[in-house]
Amino acid sequence: MGVNQLSRLYGDKPAVDRVSFDVERSEVFGFLGPNGAGKTTTIKMLTTLLQPTSGGANVLGFDLKTEGRKIRERIGVVQQQDSFDQGLNVETSLDIYGLIWNVPRTERKTRIEEVIARFGMEEFRKMPTVDLSAGQRRRVQVAREFIHDMDLLFLDEPTVGLDPIVRRALLDYLKERVHKGLTIFFTTHILEEAEYLCDRIAVINQGRIVQIDTPENLKRRFGSARAVEFKLLQGSSEALASALSSSADVTRLVQDSGTGAYRVTTTRPESVIPEIYRLAERHAVTVSSIYIAETTLEDAFIHMVTDDENGRETERGLG
Amino acid sequence: MNIYLRLVYRNLRANLDRASLFFELIFPLFFIFVQGFGLNGIVPPFEIGNGRVISYSLFLAAGAVTLTVINGGTNAGTQLWFDRKNGMFEQILMGPFTRAQYILSIIFATLIIGVAGSLLVFLFAFPVLGASFNPSLSGVLTIAAALFLGTVFFGAFAIALSVALKSSETFQIVSTFAFFIFLFTSSVFFPATSAPSAIQVASLANPLTYTTDIFRAGLFDAMTPTVSLELGILALEAVVMFAIAVIVFHRIRV
Ligand SMILES: Nc1ncnc2c1ncn2[C@@H]1O[C@H](COP(=O)(O)OP(=O)(O)OP(=O)(O)O)[C@@H](O)[C@H]1O
Ligand SMILES: [Mg+2]
Repeated sequence: MGVNQLSRLYGDKPAVDRVSFDVERSEVFGFLGPNGAGKTTTIKMLTTLLQPTSGGANVLGFDLKTEGRKIRERIGVVQQQDSFDQGLNVETSLDIYGLIWNVPRTERKTRIEEVIARFGMEEFRKMPTVDLSAGQRRRVQVAREFIHDMDLLFLDEPTVGLDPIVRRALLDYLKERVHKGLTIFFTTHILEEAEYLCDRIAVINQGRIVQIDTPENLKRRFGSARAVEFKLLQGSSEALASALSSSADVTRLVQDSGTGAYRVTTTRPESVIPEIYRLAERHAVTVSSIYIAETTLEDAFIHMVTDDENGRETERGLG
Repeated sequence: MNIYLRLVYRNLRANLDRASLFFELIFPLFFIFVQGFGLNGIVPPFEIGNGRVISYSLFLAAGAVTLTVINGGTNAGTQLWFDRKNGMFEQILMGPFTRAQYILSIIFATLIIGVAGSLLVFLFAFPVLGASFNPSLSGVLTIAAALFLGTVFFGAFAIALSVALKSSETFQIVSTFAFFIFLFTSSVFFPATSAPSAIQVASLANPLTYTTDIFRAGLFDAMTPTVSLELGILALEAVVMFAIAVIVFHRIRV
């Protein structure tokens, strides 16, 4: 899939603003961004539901503007929004979904059994879809997409509402399918998930792509701010905290109100750690535990988005 | 299997509300067997054209059959409304179909419901209607045309209404209200000429009047030049309403 300067205006406000990227065959491409960044709008355009205002794309070798029908025959979509057939039970709704996709009856039967087993839907397979819990319904919606063949699957926050066990089952199932050649376009707000699944990640903010890279590279490049966490035997020390916050190497200091642990954001943990011990001695308190926290994709993500916001502020200031 | 067959089958399975279908069949039967017979004693038989004189219960029984047509038509709106409410509309449009195929599949499903429903009511009403029913080829064709055009008009109307009212829960209320307006300004219960004059005017724009008149003419062999004209007007109304539905449908925001 190749996306070129794809844009969509709502009124005169751009929801997606000249977005370009490529997705390789059998790749899991993550699309991350804050609420309202333009992820769903991008998916709606790439699945031919919504007309782009400008720009274009090539999806599976077909042109987005002129060959929409051919594209739709080869993709699957799990929308962010709920979707279910209200008059049917789970099994029948899977079957009829397969039917409208023209999947032969015997093939439908095997695939239905497969997804019912994989997504743990045995105990509600005969229940009407309207009576399901939100998470159960989401499971059916995700499972349904695997009844038909496809080369490219769009998943718009598929794990919302799923319990941890099903979520893990889904991610593993997705990995399996990718091994067999499926390409996935994936959005989520759960960054561990993105890290676990995605080969590359694009970060989008206010309609524009901020970065595209592998999760490791993004962490390395933007996760530079590290965190040091420590606890005091005495619980808290106002004096230590205020002295430490004014230290040059410390970007931010917060204390967790629940555990009482202090979390220091810094670019130089190696000098902050001795500093903590020095201050502890001076203020007659004891450090009971201390460690350097792993950089997470979440740190990197927050860093990228905040940087981008600041960049925009400056742009606006200059303009 | 053909794409339309698959979509129509889905529409019929997924979006039909069995309880309301049941009432759509029961409702006309009340008119035929309760009201029709009740009023028969005080309303003398009258002429409906081409020199044909029929009793009120016959007149009303025929009207009750076409009543089923607008009932069936409402289903088109309900199907679309459910699909939009439940997110299936977008899901299907991201599948291997075109918008035109989807909307036509709704119209086809509606035709099946409308025509099958009318035939069922007709069968139930046969004890009343049977005696004076002498089918000719032209009569049957006239009946088919009336049922087809009527269903297309009311199906398209309901689709347009359902698009306009998607965001609210008022679709069911408004369509029921519209149903009664169409019903009472039509010739289902009484000939347009004996209605109050305001109603007569409304009646002349009402496709249910035409559907009913044409159906009766076909059924009782009472074709007149007026009825041929009505057939033309009904066809025109159906085409216009269908075009409106298609335009409105293509403007649905996703
Ligand atoms: N139908 C619409 N009319 C007007 N503006 C819209 C419409 N749909 C979306 N927008 C705007 O477009 C922007 C992008 O929305 P979009 O749904 O793509 O965000 P998102 O990245 O999917 O967010 P989330 O994480 O909340 O799902 C938002 O600012 C939103 O307000
Ligand atoms: Mg979204």
